[in-house]
Amino acid sequence: MKIVVAYKWTCDPEEATVRADGTVDWSRAKPGISAYDPVAMELARRLAEAAGAELIGVTVGAKGVGVAIASKAALSRGLDRVVIIEDGSLQDAGRSELAAVLAAAVRHIGDVDLVVTGDSSVDVAAKMVPTLLAGELGWPAVGEVTAVSGQAGTLRVERAIPGGTQVLEISGPAVLAASADAAVPRVPGMKDLLAAGKKPVEHLELTALDVPARSAVMTVTGRSRPDRKARKGQLLDTTDPAAAAAELVSALRGAGAL
Amino acid sequence: MSVNAWIVVGEQPAIGDLITVARSLGGQVAAVVAGPRPVAETVAASGVDKVVWCGALGDAPAEAYAQAVADIVAADPPRVVLGGRNPGERVLLGAAAARLRAAVLTGARSVSADGAGVIVVNAVFGDIADETVAVSGPVALLLDGGSVPPAGGGSVPIEEAAATPLAMKVIETKTSGFDEVDLNAAPRVIGVGRGLKAKEDLVMIEALARATKAEIACSRPVAEGLNWMGKDRYIGSSGAHIAPQLYFAVGISGQLQHMVGVQGAETIVAINSDPNAAVFKETDYGLVGDLYQLVPAITAALK
Repeated sequence: MKIVVAYKWTCDPEEATVRADGTVDWSRAKPGISAYDPVAMELARRLAEAAGAELIGVTVGAKGVGVAIASKAALSRGLDRVVIIEDGSLQDAGRSELAAVLAAAVRHIGDVDLVVTGDSSVDVAAKMVPTLLAGELGWPAVGEVTAVSGQAGTLRVERAIPGGTQVLEISGPAVLAASADAAVPRVPGMKDLLAAGKKPVEHLELTALDVPARSAVMTVTGRSRPDRKARKGQLLDTTDPAAAAAELVSALRGAGAL
Repeated sequence: MSVNAWIVVGEQPAIGDLITVARSLGGQVAAVVAGPRPVAETVAASGVDKVVWCGALGDAPAEAYAQAVADIVAADPPRVVLGGRNPGERVLLGAAAARLRAAVLTGARSVSADGAGVIVVNAVFGDIADETVAVSGPVALLLDGGSVPPAGGGSVPIEEAAATPLAMKVIETKTSGFDEVDLNAAPRVIGVGRGLKAKEDLVMIEALARATKAEIACSRPVAEGLNWMGKDRYIGSSGAHIAPQLYFAVGISGQLQHMVGVQGAETIVAINSDPNAAVFKETDYGLVGDLYQLVPAITAALK
């Protein structure tokens, strides 16, 4: 059995600033493995151990995603090897194109039985790439996955739904997006980091993959920094909690908020 | 220029806003439903021009019909495909978008069509910046679905497609005991963060919620990790985006990922013991102090 974890090496918008012209300044942001991807790696590692499967990390992106520190960070979390598609032309790629490249990589690896992803990326947070990837591969996709067991060809998948959980049985390969609390990721120790340095890292050329061209071209014609609603920013004196509460209630009633 | 649109619908017909956006583009509005028959009937009466139904789900989840939905949409290819921000419709939309090799945008603030194509003002990177994007070719948009559309006088016939599901089935459904909630419908919302020390202390928050007639929500770690409430109650970039009259941020530090979800609130009150908490930069009324003293004091002041 082969399990792929698709992960992202990217920055947190919390560390970005937006210039007055609407362009985003990432210069002070430090890239890392996207916040929820370690959960996917942990969930997949446990399944790989139970099923005796090989666990392969795949990442796709612009220049930088293939740096040694990125591969090592991923490999130290229990992956057996990583496959990297790093290409400058992917700098402004839309998620449709990224998913198509991921699908091509999954086909290139061959005989993949399962792809696991994180809940959402820290920078975009749209939860669309797993569904696009499944669409490209023609496989079932399930989000909010809290547990997975089984083996190649027969998976038992538990997922969160509003008001409860659902257990699904999936025959054949699938793409599963782990919920953010599906597993508590391990903290890699020195031993894991040393072992990571010895694991295989494969760099694939984008041009060597069969990625169908997109039918749509996106052109950014304008950028702006959205106007945040002006806030009063009034700090109330809380020395006497009862007095502060009375002042707040009166202000909220005055503003029509209560 | 008018452009045709498809709306993908899963197990709930909460697509009122999708119909509004699709209609504004001036072309034909078609819907494909991977859900129970009553959902298709509601959609058929909502003012769309065409409804295709994938048939009874049986023991399959809506996601099992992703490829069937892609086939149906691709047989009459639109310029725009719309889906709601929920797990099932994301999967249907993703399959349709992959088939059309469409562009995919998830932060649309406005959508229009001109001679060159579809123009979307799209929020990016957790809504910190806006881009105006011109799309030549098909585009898939993930949007807030809105409410269930009212019947709009008359109904279009439901075409039943011969749809084959993917090999997946539901074998068990368990309830969590958490009540479902529609935070978007609440005029007042109290958001609870990690500043609350124990789940039992939610009793204090519930008292404030009763006094203000508010719904209770939370930051992401309170729903995922601590598991004190259902996931439909967490607010943030990947959770609920709300615009109530009043939002109380109680024990919430105010990280970007949370605050983008409450930007639309008319008035924001923050209670936090840390005077440097980021939340105070985006509040109307800030109270620096112990929430265990301030919350009961506010509840008492309302009586």
